[in-house]
Parts: sequence; structure tokens; C-alpha cells
Amino acid sequence: MAPTTPAGDSWRPLGLVLVAALGFSGALAYGSLRVRTPHRPETAHAERPIQVADGGFVSSDTCRACHPGQYASWHRSYHRTMTAVATPTSVLASFDRVRVDQVNGRPMFLERRGDELWAEIDEPDWDGQGDAPPRIRRQVVLTTGSHHQQIYWYATGHGRLLGQLPAIQLAAERRWVPRRSAVMHPPDVPLVSESGSWNGICVQCHTTNGRPEFSTPFGAENLFVQTIDTRAVEFGIACESCHGPANEHVAANRSPLRRYGLHLTRTPDPTIVEPRRLDVHRSSEVCGQCHGLWEYYDEAAERQANSEGLPYRPGDQLTKTRFIVQPTLNLDSPTLKRLLKEDPNFVSDIFWKDGMVRATGREYNGLIDSPCYKNAVEGARTLSCMSCHAMHKPSGDPRALDSWADDQLKSEALGNDACLQCHGSLRDTVTAHTRHRADSVGSSCYNCHMPHTTYGLLKTIRSHQINSPSVQATLDTGRPNACNLCHLDKTLEWTSRYLDQWYRIPPPPALGSDERSVAASILVLFRGDAGQRAIIAQALGWAPAQQTAGTDWMAPFLSLLLTDPYDAVRYIAGRSLKTLPGYESFPYDFVASPDQRIVMRRRALDAWRDGGSAPGHRGEAALLFNPDGTFIAEQVTRLSAQRNNRRVFYRE
Amino acid sequence: MADGSRPNREYAHRHLRFGWWSMLVFAGLGLLLETLQGFKVGAYLDVSNETRRMLWRLAHAHGTLLGVVHVLFGLTLRTEADRPLPRARLISRTLTLASLLVPAGFFLGGFGFVGGDPGLSVLLVPIGAVLLLSALFLLGSTVGGDEAAKGAGSRTKER
Repeated sequence: MAPTTPAGDSWRPLGLVLVAALGFSGALAYGSLRVRTPHRPETAHAERPIQVADGGFVSSDTCRACHPGQYASWHRSYHRTMTAVATPTSVLASFDRVRVDQVNGRPMFLERRGDELWAEIDEPDWDGQGDAPPRIRRQVVLTTGSHHQQIYWYATGHGRLLGQLPAIQLAAERRWVPRRSAVMHPPDVPLVSESGSWNGICVQCHTTNGRPEFSTPFGAENLFVQTIDTRAVEFGIACESCHGPANEHVAANRSPLRRYGLHLTRTPDPTIVEPRRLDVHRSSEVCGQCHGLWEYYDEAAERQANSEGLPYRPGDQLTKTRFIVQPTLNLDSPTLKRLLKEDPNFVSDIFWKDGMVRATGREYNGLIDSPCYKNAVEGARTLSCMSCHAMHKPSGDPRALDSWADDQLKSEALGNDACLQCHGSLRDTVTAHTRHRADSVGSSCYNCHMPHTTYGLLKTIRSHQINSPSVQATLDTGRPNACNLCHLDKTLEWTSRYLDQWYRIPPPPALGSDERSVAASILVLFRGDAGQRAIIAQALGWAPAQQTAGTDWMAPFLSLLLTDPYDAVRYIAGRSLKTLPGYESFPYDFVASPDQRIVMRRRALDAWRDGGSAPGHRGEAALLFNPDGTFIAEQVTRLSAQRNNRRVFYRE
Repeated sequence: MADGSRPNREYAHRHLRFGWWSMLVFAGLGLLLETLQGFKVGAYLDVSNETRRMLWRLAHAHGTLLGVVHVLFGLTLRTEADRPLPRARLISRTLTLASLLVPAGFFLGGFGFVGGDPGLSVLLVPIGAVLLLSALFLLGSTVGGDEAAKGAGSRTKER
């Protein structure tokens, strides 16, 4: 018989196994903590603005648990990345020992130090003492944007005050350009420091409930004597920007009984704002809080927003807490009068003469002046942002998140269905209405009623004020009309004739001889201000217009713009030139020296002259050509002298 | 005789069979889930269906593991063949019901979910969980205990 084991001994092996298991687990946990980068609490960052979820806000991390689908589509959107902490993964540009010459001043040097990004630049806040600005080395801590451009912000070392790198990254080309070259900025206006701009301006719309927290108003005194403690609930435009603070919602919905009660009865949850359930005006204001041009009513409002964040909450009436600039309605208001007194160009820089907004990022201003919005009497048939855009990719949308994220358009709003939601009677009579083939670009509602007459971020976008082509409006405001943005080779007189013939729109009483004999696009290109020239430069590279008007005449006009005084106009002209046959790899750098640009312009013209002599449009007088294809020199000289050289400065 | 009517071996046979079949079914579910993953089926993989994905994985995992529990229970009964298990019928039925309700609740909860909230069928899960814990408690307190077996035997005799 085997000896019996005492009861105490039978537990010994188990105890040993347990001790070994505990030891192993402990070693594993310790090891994983050692290899993981230590997480630095947000509040430990004294050198930059921080993210603190307070004041009833909870941040998107909390929303994610219950709304994973919505979180995912938002996470892919450019709203999220509108501001981000600068890390090797969030920056578009390389920081691996890079030298950037495309800056005003001495080159910028970039480098990585572990996960940190550093830059060496000329001190932009130099006081002018000494021969040259001192060189500074600063850590890049935040980025703005990621869709079209990315701007980089460094810690100045003065509280949470940020400065801006002197060059920005263009997303499409993945190249650096001087900061000023990326915006419509008058060439003769000196560059100013952008230090504090993020803290004082960007923070309001590029974060969730941002608070500048300047001890005195931004711009009121030297930044470096102010106390600056900028913070936000979250960087980027997150869930609570559109749904409101969610603390109450989160607390209430900890109860599964409540949640299932709401699910089963399909009752809206009163603890959170769902913009789609708001009436059309309130729901559009949710977008308008950032996509509109607004100002504080007074200094007290600025001080309140400075310390508590903007008081507007989704569902509120926007104008209760801020002044929406709408020249068609409130040009005589005390607030706008005050703003115009401070800056006489406040309105003309952003609006056409008839009050239509001309700068991007102000789509709400366009919407509220649209007849589909202001004249509509039925809520269901009133245009709102949600008529065409979806902030979360709808479940039935077959597109990938990336495609949807580009403009966040509903899939049904990609074509005429956007308008046919209300104008359904036109569905079967498209050709009768448009007088163009139903499948042609001339039958696109967007092309005629939302032409590309708004400028920003080195491109034009569609006007968000729904309107109809009007020659009179072109004459009154200088804004190219939809017909001539496609029929680039036609005169205003031609357009006027067809609008009269087809739509009984009476022609203007008297058109000048140029308007009768020279293509409307060419007139704008020569006579227009920088904003107008940018619109034509882009139209010349727009495929539908190229199909309609031909391309064989465009190169010389675009080449003229290659030496435009405005960087933005040159950039667009260069981009359009490369869409023309034979110019795909034309070497042009819009920030090259003036001499080099002249050489490039000459080359572009030479290439066009040598490009064959097919008649095409090259002999048309409306395009300033002699029958032999040469320019009518005196016309070109005369119109060039008529350029509108007013300073154009968009608040992009 | 266990529980007055059936011997342990009969329960052992039943639970071994249930356990292996259960493992077959829920391992099969695992294969189905892998197929959905492999063919990138949106109804399973889309981020908006994260709740469904989690619930179906839970159904797969719980169903398979509960199958293992049944096999272990069956083997336990075999090793205790000469000692009738008190309350064997109750334990058997409770365990079986739990093994149906828990994975079924997870699986069916993957239909009709709203955001992060499973469909109402998920209510089967807590019921099944209570049954499972009860069965485990009963098992823990009775299996291998001579006194318990005696008590059970005397109660059987009293009937």
C-alpha cells in the first residue's frame, strides 16, 4: 500500500504553482510598463494649450463606448483633425532632419527627437534690434488641418502661447510653401507674426469649447506680458460641438432601463441635442457656429467667451449670443458699423457687392441668403446644411469612409437629386429646363446654381448661396456668372442673349463694347481683382469648362497669370496650366523668384506658340486673337492696364 | 441511484454528449465568424456593427466553454460513479438551461441592437448566468462529499 499523503502536503504543489503564476504575471506587467512610452498627463503640459473635459463636457472618448459607428465616421472626418497634438503620426510633413527653404527669411530646419518634433527658425517676434532676427529652436506641439493644408504651431515658452512655423505643408503635393503663399494675401503688405493666433482665434472653431484665457483681449497688448492659459475640452471639432455638452446625457443613460425605454418607444433623448431633429434653422446654425462669419456683440461677450468658451450651445438661436455678418440685412446695424469703422474692408474683403459671401468657411452666410432657405415656408422643404451633408456616413452609403469624408456629402447629394428633393417636378423635364443635354454638365443643378465663385485655401469652391446666372449681377458685382464659368470663350452679350431667349431674363440695358466683343472670362482675368482672377484661373483648369470651351487657347492666358503678384493666383494658374494637353509636366514653381517666374511664363508661351497651328479658338477675336492666331496686342495691353489692383485679403 | 431515479452514468452520458455537441455547434459558429471576417462582410465587420461583432464573439466563446464545462461535469460524474450525486437532476437541468440561455442571449442580442446597446434578447444572458452560478454552487457543494452523498441517499430513501 502506498503511504497516504498528509492533507497539508497536498496543498503544497498548488501553492507553489500559484506563487509562480503570480510572479510571472507581475514580471509581465512590469515589463509591459517598461516598454510602453510613459503617458504624460495632459495637465502636465505647461508649454501648450491642453484638453480638459469640464463644464459639463465629457469628450469623444466617452461617446465612443455607446456610439461606435458614429464615433468611427467622425474619427475619419477632417473635423477631428482640425487641431491635433503634433506627433510623428499626425504630421503630414517629414521632420527627419529636413531643411525647408520655402520660407521668408533664413531656412527652417526640422528634426525629430524621439517622438518630439523640433524646428529651428528665425524668431518671428523679433523686436528689430540687431542685424537679423535671432534663431530659435522650439518644439512643434500642435497642428491645424490635414485635408488641404497643415499648419504647425510651436511652444513659444511663454505660458501656453503658440507661435506658427513660417512654412506650411500642402497636403496634395506634400510640399512646404511659405505661410503667406498659402493664403490670399496682398504682396505688398508686410508679414506679421502669427504668435497667439491659435490661442486667440483658431481655438474658437478648431477645438471643442475652446477657451483662449488671455488675461486681456487678444491684440490689446504685447502677448509676452499677458498671462495665457488656453485650454479646450478637446482638440478638433468633436461630438459635443454639434450635440452639446454630454455630461447629463451620460449620467442619465447609465440606466439600461432608461436606454431601452427610449429605444423601444423611439423617444428622442432630451438630455442631448440631435441636430437632425432640430428645426431647419436651428440645425443649420449648429454648422453656422463655425461655418459663418460672426463677431462678438461687445467686449463683455469676448471676455465671457475668453474664460468660459463661446456661450452658444446646439439648439440655441445663434444670433442671441453672436453677431452674424449679413450685409444684405444688417449693414446698418451698430455692430457692423463699429466693425467697418475698425476695418473699412471688413465686408468687401469677404462679400461680393450684392452681399454674397466670397470666402470659404462661411457657407452658412451663403445658405441664409439663399431663396431655398429664406423664402421657404415649409420646414420639410427648406434648404439646410443637412439637406446635402451628413456628419456621419449614412449606413446605406456604399462609399468608403475616405470618399465620404472629403465633403461629407450624402451620396444622394452628389448629383441633381440634392435639388430634386424639393424640385421634383423637374426630374422628367431636365432638358426643357436646362436647354442642355440631360447627361451633360450643363444639366447639373450645381453647375448653374452653385458655381465656383467662392475662394479659399488655394482653390475655389461652389457658392453656397443658391442663385441663378445673371449678367446684371456680373456687371454689378464683378462675380463671374455660371454660364461664363463653363462657356469661358463666350461674351457676356452671348450669355445675356440666351438667358433672355430661354428664361425671359431681360438683358441689361446697355452692355459696353468689351462686354459685347470679348469673352467674359478674359475680361475678368485682365480687369478683375486677385480674387476674381483666382476664380478664372481655376475655371480654366476645370474639366467641364475645358470640354465646353476647348483648351487650345487657354495656355497663354494662364501663362500671364504665372507672374501674377498674388501667390495664390499664381499657384492656381500653375495648377490649371498642368491640366492642359502638353503641359502636364511643365516645370513651374509659384514661389520661385520673380525672374524665374518670368522665364517660366515665357517658356509656357513659347510652348503654346510651338504647339501647332490648328485653327480652333486661336483665331477668335473674342479671345483677343487675330485670325492668324497671334494676340491682338493693343487689346491685351489696354485690358491689362485696367486691372483692379485693390488689396485683396480674404479671412479664410 | 442518483437523485432517486437515474444513476450517475446516465447523467454523465447525457452531459458528455451535450458538451461535445455544444462544442461542435459553437466551434462551428467560430468558423462562421471567421468566414464573415474573411469575406469582409459589412454586417459583421463595419464599425457601426461593433456591438454585433462583440456579442457574436461572446456567444461563440461562452458556448464553446460551456460545452467544456459539460464534458468536465460528465467526467466528474463518471469518476463518482459509485457515489450518487445529490440533486443531480436539478444540477443537470440548471446547467443545461444555462448553457442554452447564455450563448443564445449573446447571439440573439446581436440582432436589433441600438448603438452600444444589445437587442433585448440579451436579457437571456443574466438569467442564464444566474442558473450557471447556481449549478456551479450546487456542484461545488455536493460533488465528492461523502456526507452529502449519504444525506442525499437518506433523503432518497425517505421518499
